This record gives sequence, structure tokens and C-alpha cells, in this order.
Amino acid sequence: MSCELDLTGYVVDELAKRERGVVEDHVRGCQSCREELDRLNLTRSALASLEDEEIPRRIAFVSDRVFEPRWWQTMWHSGPVMGFASAALLAAAILAHAFVVHPMAVDTAQVEKRIESQLNARVQAAVNEAQARQSAEFAKVLDATEHRFETQRQADLANFLQADEYRQKQMARLEVASNEASGQ
Amino acid sequence: MIFREVEDRDLIAKARRGHVEAYNVLVSRWEKRVFNYLLRLVGQREDALDLSQDVFLKAYQNLKKLDDPAKFPGWLFRIAHNEAYSLLRKNRPEGEMVVEPKMAEASGGLFPIESTLAVRSALARLSDDHREAVLLKVYQGFKFEEMAEILSCPVSTVKSRLYTALDLLKQTLGPVNTGGAE
Repeated sequence: MSCELDLTGYVVDELAKRERGVVEDHVRGCQSCREELDRLNLTRSALASLEDEEIPRRIAFVSDRVFEPRWWQTMWHSGPVMGFASAALLAAAILAHAFVVHPMAVDTAQVEKRIESQLNARVQAAVNEAQARQSAEFAKVLDATEHRFETQRQADLANFLQADEYRQKQMARLEVASNEASGQ
Repeated sequence: MIFREVEDRDLIAKARRGHVEAYNVLVSRWEKRVFNYLLRLVGQREDALDLSQDVFLKAYQNLKKLDDPAKFPGWLFRIAHNEAYSLLRKNRPEGEMVVEPKMAEASGGLFPIESTLAVRSALARLSDDHREAVLLKVYQGFKFEEMAEILSCPVSTVKSRLYTALDLLKQTLGPVNTGGAE
């Protein structure tokens, strides 16, 4: 190709509009440049036929805990959570205001009684829970022991039966031998 | 494309303020392009995946250093280029092995799958620099100026690499396609 035209620049779309026009006008009348342009276009088309592959797995950054926002950042950026927090704050303020404006008379004895009853109930619940847990563990150990004994008993019985069978066979063999000896 | 740029800019601004979800969206938008660029450059799927991971992690860590969010694509590919060349240098410390492409071995028509293989093979035979110029221009659509920034070299070098690469590819792929079209 002897013509000084940037055909590659034309194909890769790096020419200005005016330069593109010059190339287009030229190739209409120049067969060798037209063929060269065809080869370049075919090359570009062949390259374009290579499709992108799907990424085998997502970039792990998304699930990396190091980059997760802190709880206050999450709250700060969450509209519903912020709305709920604001409402809760407002309710708390109203409640506090009500207590401050109308302080209630505190019956100490009643409060102590209530605390004691709650405490007792919790202690009882804890005791019941511990007892239930202990009973369950005991039952489990008992089951395991019984099972072990039963297995052992079955094994002993099987051994005994086997020994007994062997003994009977020996006796029979002895008897036969004895009879044969007697016959002679 | 304009809307997309605007949205990317918005996501970058949010990510800079610590909005991780915004960055995750940005990653999901660009991961396929970055992965394919790295895959064609380094040639190994696992390496490309690991490099993609590193690229997005480094991009996140340095996001505040990005002066102009509109330049995010070039900036991201510059990180990808650096990561890929670190690996290529490590794997080939004695220097680049340039393999000149052979002339088209098959002159008959090619089926699409064969065409894909031919393109893949032709790209693999280019030197890393030449192949990268093709990847950035043909597959990623960057302008010469952007490529020069990504590769940290003059526009004239970028242009020379691309023109040489396309000339070599033309020798390998051109006749095959012409034959197939007949």
C-alpha cells in the first residue's frame, strides 16, 4: 500500500470527522486501500467475535466482613431504622416528662415484695431447670449403663451356649468312640 | 453511557463516604470487564480471578486518591494493568518472550467455534504489550490518551503498539476470514 492514509486509525475510530471523510473519499477510488481496509475490518470483526466470559464467582469483597459498615453506620444510613429510633426517643422523652412532672409516690415495701417474688420465681425456675437437666443426664447415663449390661449379658449367654454346644458335641464324640471301643 | 457515567460518579461519591453497598454495586458493574481484560492478558482463569479481587480491593483502599470520578474506568484499569504486570514479571523474570504470530495455518472457512479459537490463539501469540493494546482498544474501547494514562507511556507508543498488533493479527486472522466469507 503506497497511499499515506491512516486506515488503522479509521478502523479503531481514532480519526476526527474530517479525516474520516478523507479516508472514505479515498477508498472509493483506490482499490488497494479498499482491500486493505477490508482486511482490517475483517480482523476487527474476528476480534469482536470473541465474547466476554462470565466471571466464575463474584468478587469476594462484597462479603468481606472487614469492609462491612459498623452498626452505627448501618443505622445512620437506614431510613426506617432512623425513623424508628426517632419515634422511640420521642416516646421515651414523653414518658420521662410525665414522670418528672407528676412524680409518683413510691411504696418501698410493695416494691421489695415484688422484687422478692420475682427473685424467688427466677430462682425456682433456675432450680427446676437444673433439676430437669440433671434428671435428663441421669436418665441418659442409666440408659447407657443398662444397654451396656444387656449387651454384656447377651454376649455371655452366647458364649455359654456356644461352650455348651461344644461340650455336647465332645460328649457325643466320646460316646461314639466309647461304643466303637466297646464293639471291638 | 452518559447516565451510566453519572451513576458511577454517584456511586463513587457514596463509596468515598464509607457507603460499602455503593461500592459493591460498582464492583458488580465492572467485575466482568476487569476479569475478562485480566484473563486475556495473563491467560489463566484462577490468576485473573485473584487479580480481579486484588484490583477491587486496591481500588477501594485508594478511592479517595481518585481526583476526578469521571476518570474511574481508566484509573481502575491502570490498577488492573499494574497488578497484571506484577504477576507477568514474576512469572517471566528473565524478560518478555515475544512470539511472532504465524501466518494463517488454515486457509479454508472456519466454523464460529474455530474462529473463536483462532482469535484466542492469535491473541496469545502476541507479546504482552501488543496484546494489552488490543485489549484496551478493541475490547474496552479506550481512547489513545486514556490508554497512555493506563499504561504510563506516550500516546505515540500506544499507537505504535496497537498498529503493530493489528498488523500481526491481520496476517493471522485476515486471510482466514476472507476465506470463510467466500
